[in-house]
Amino acid sequence: MKAFKYLSPKSVEEAIAFHGRHSETSRFIGGGTDVIVKLKEGWMEPDFLISLKKIKEMGELSKNNATGELSIGAMVTHATLEKSIMIQKEYPIIYDAVSNIGSLQVRNVGTIGGNLINAVPSADGAIPLIALDGVALLHGPDGERSASVKDLFIKPYKTILKPGEILKKITIPPQEPYTGSAYIKFGRRAAMELPLVGIGVLLTLDHARKICKKARICLGVAAPVPMRAFDAEKFLAGKEINEETLVKAGRIAADESKVRDSVRGKAWHRKEMIRVQVKRMGQKCLELIRNNN
Amino acid sequence: MNELKSDLSVVGKRIPKLDASLKAMGRAEYIQDIKLPGMVYGKILYSSYAHANIIKIDTSKAVALPGVHAVLTGEDIPGKMKMGFYKDNPPIKKGKVCSFRDEVAAVAAKSPEIARKALSLIEIEYEELEGIFDPEKAMKKDSPLVHEKNKTNILKLPWKLHYGDVEKAGEKAAFTVEDRFSTTWVTHCCLGTSGAVALFDANDNLTIYTNTQIPSLAQKDFLEALKAMGLENKRARVIKPVIGGGFGSKLDTYAYEHIAILLAHKCRKPVKLTFDRQEEFKATSTRQPAIIDIRQGCDKNGKLLFRDIKMILDNGAYTSWGATTPSVMMMPVTSLYRVKNVRYSAKCVYTNNTYSQAMRGYGNPQATFAIESSMDMLAEKAGIDPIEFRRINRNHPGDVTPQKFKITTCGLDLCLDTVEKELKENNIKQKGVGIGIASLIHVGGGARIYKSDGCGAILKMDDYGKVDIFTGGTDMGQGLDNITAQIVAEELGLFAEDINVVHTDTDVCPWDVGAHASRSTFVAGNAALGAAKKVKEKLLEFGSKILDADPGDLVLRDRLIFVPGDNEKKMAIDKLLRKAHFSPGGTMLMADFFYDPDNENLGKEFKGNMSMTYTFGVHGVRVKVDVETGKVEVLEYVAAHDVGRAINPLLLEGQVYGGVVMGLGYALTEEVVHKKGKNMNANFRDYKLFTAKDAIKIKAPVLETPDKDGPFGAKGIGEPGCVPTAPAIANAIYDAVGVRIYDLPITPEKVLAALKEKNN
Repeated sequence: MKAFKYLSPKSVEEAIAFHGRHSETSRFIGGGTDVIVKLKEGWMEPDFLISLKKIKEMGELSKNNATGELSIGAMVTHATLEKSIMIQKEYPIIYDAVSNIGSLQVRNVGTIGGNLINAVPSADGAIPLIALDGVALLHGPDGERSASVKDLFIKPYKTILKPGEILKKITIPPQEPYTGSAYIKFGRRAAMELPLVGIGVLLTLDHARKICKKARICLGVAAPVPMRAFDAEKFLAGKEINEETLVKAGRIAADESKVRDSVRGKAWHRKEMIRVQVKRMGQKCLELIRNNN
Repeated sequence: MNELKSDLSVVGKRIPKLDASLKAMGRAEYIQDIKLPGMVYGKILYSSYAHANIIKIDTSKAVALPGVHAVLTGEDIPGKMKMGFYKDNPPIKKGKVCSFRDEVAAVAAKSPEIARKALSLIEIEYEELEGIFDPEKAMKKDSPLVHEKNKTNILKLPWKLHYGDVEKAGEKAAFTVEDRFSTTWVTHCCLGTSGAVALFDANDNLTIYTNTQIPSLAQKDFLEALKAMGLENKRARVIKPVIGGGFGSKLDTYAYEHIAILLAHKCRKPVKLTFDRQEEFKATSTRQPAIIDIRQGCDKNGKLLFRDIKMILDNGAYTSWGATTPSVMMMPVTSLYRVKNVRYSAKCVYTNNTYSQAMRGYGNPQATFAIESSMDMLAEKAGIDPIEFRRINRNHPGDVTPQKFKITTCGLDLCLDTVEKELKENNIKQKGVGIGIASLIHVGGGARIYKSDGCGAILKMDDYGKVDIFTGGTDMGQGLDNITAQIVAEELGLFAEDINVVHTDTDVCPWDVGAHASRSTFVAGNAALGAAKKVKEKLLEFGSKILDADPGDLVLRDRLIFVPGDNEKKMAIDKLLRKAHFSPGGTMLMADFFYDPDNENLGKEFKGNMSMTYTFGVHGVRVKVDVETGKVEVLEYVAAHDVGRAINPLLLEGQVYGGVVMGLGYALTEEVVHKKGKNMNANFRDYKLFTAKDAIKIKAPVLETPDKDGPFGAKGIGEPGCVPTAPAIANAIYDAVGVRIYDLPITPEKVLAALKEKNN
């Protein structure tokens, strides 16, 4: 590993300024669970690592009770989310996803923002935030801008972030009543695992808890970047949610996925798993809605 | 059979590993921790192709890089320096590469970073050749040849036997099954990666620190290497740091050791060469993949009549001990259950894949996967309950198997009963849930692979009641130090912590053939016991003079020597020792012992009593299969073994737990993925070793059947834990959902594909 200087700015502005002075030779680092591996493997060789750990606002997790908006600082660790009672109760899809990332040690340091910015097709953290219509707040040399989380990703390891730009936080708009959400990481091991597919489903039903008002079906490892199964979502919208419609939605989602063969798994099996798990996560959403409301 | 001695004070106790705290505190010194003055760092460059001619190597830029002390290519390797049991593998290749892990150059430099940089400056021109990656294709006449001079890819090895008459027995069989099974590459995944530090003194004597399982045999290999380098009559001293796991991977000497020696000699400095994890995955050897055709038949009462097995083993590009595993596969083939008519043949075939090596079980897991899957299939065909079917055919004490193995103690019946009871206790039939069992036989009393199966021990007592025992046996994490200490402490009336076990240095430790074949407790244990008995005799003799007692009345226990019931005749052992040393005409309390078991090499037709005793076991498992995803969940696992006697039940259970988890990985998740010879998953992310979270609760009933030849009745138990796991799982899956998986690992993909085929 090449030697580097480690900088710990206390504000976003300071971090951006640091980066501005050494834009070619510096890299931001969050929890480091991806960056350190890349350094060790020699995939990146910066002279400066700009740590975002000391920036207080980026580590905050809060919910505005007046507006119902959830704000997750990009430096919030998976473990913080996992242990939050509010997340467990109100955003089970986030809990499902972050509680199965890596290992306890990885979750203690790895951050939700880093999980997004690393931009791998298997990012567990991305799926629930897309399903929840999350919005990413970016801050760069030219000021702030925002983008929906689903639009963050361009291709594997590439996001829309410009040089020097930092993902500051993710906001989640208020959830409607009669909403349930669930995620499953389908892999071969119980820990230290990348998903073969990652499936997140969010359903909002009408007050009779029958008809689907809104559906989000989000797939990881189903395409080069995390994707939404729009056809399946459209199919469910306005329909009664039951075994039959969920089975069909699973099939549609599988069909619109762009799975492929890799060392980790075969495309046909991934497709099967999307079909099965979209249905199962849909059922889990239904259970949650019925139990909670 | 020995009676169980009930008056033991140290043997049979659950004493935690003596080095546990050192390891927990990070104070154990592994090869990575060795630092010597003036030490430089070695690094190996590997081939870019699976099969290619080397047209040109230009090392000039690497040589010119500041900080580089030595650069080696195949041209620098003495012609006679060859590794492996077939001596077909030079440490750095010249002219041609035959696999991606072929070493093509090496450097020594001031720092690992400079060494790495130097490797990147070596320019090599290759001419790619057609590779061969499928052993069945490699056997064909028109196949590309891995080693042209052999004119064939099939190794000339004698693995063939036929006892009785399989054809005739086949005609009589009421039920017959015939199937093909296959297994793939898996690897040891030692947490301590491989490495060596080599240095020469001014007289060209070699000292090498290396985490080997075979210090004495490695010493021989290194002396041969020195000879090939023109260094006749020199010494080679092998020092073992703490070994972070062996599992068979360190049963040979390797290119990294030879290269460290060559580099150290060239630059006259200590050279350290250690593997990173990726290198460990790519450049160490695997368990060999097997294609197994098996046919078995029984009469209408379920009595096995014959077993007929043909195997093809992917040898890879070079030959290490992997090619000799058929000699151990013969054991379950001929001797797991009573079967008179047996035929077996195995062909080892060169390919451009990675070469294989010994791995826990030494071929037994592959053979047992086929045999025990096939046993279930035959039982079903005969309409007999699979456990009952095994009971009908089980081995008995006193049996002599067709291969002339003399079964002494055999607790197979006990194991079957125990596992059956555990599994059937709460066997409520649920959809997708099923149970399966599989049995095992393994050598438990040494294994005469070489001309000797011996181990030496030297024992000395000091003035303070402490013992140093120098043993040939190797503790590689399995706990031999505890076993040795407990045996010696028991015999000499001391506590386990009074015994210092030294096994680290060939300059001071006696000879041994190595930590393999589950032999250490049995063989090294008997060697330690032999030495302790000799010293005990001296102690009692001297004690009888001092205490004016009959030696036969004296007892050694709790650091005391005494006549039971006589308070006058009692003395602390350390006090007695001081008297021995400080009295006129004093004596040293010291002894040596060489134990070589009375077992036999496999002779004509591979017959001979290879081991003094055999260990048996039965594993039972309950699984749940998700029929929509193909995922298999292990709900319950029972691994019962007939262990002779547990010297330390805590460590014994640890051996079984570890073995089972290794076996579960073999059954369900582990696979080195090769694509045209290239390792595609050289990391723990994609090589699916079980994690702590995947590990399941395992019941490990320890069934004691004290063996007359084992130390305090003990048999070997190092390997059995991973032997029958895969077939037990495969059988349980069949019981659960009616599909049979013939190929390891049993992935969700394979199960789902089989379910789909069944339903179509």
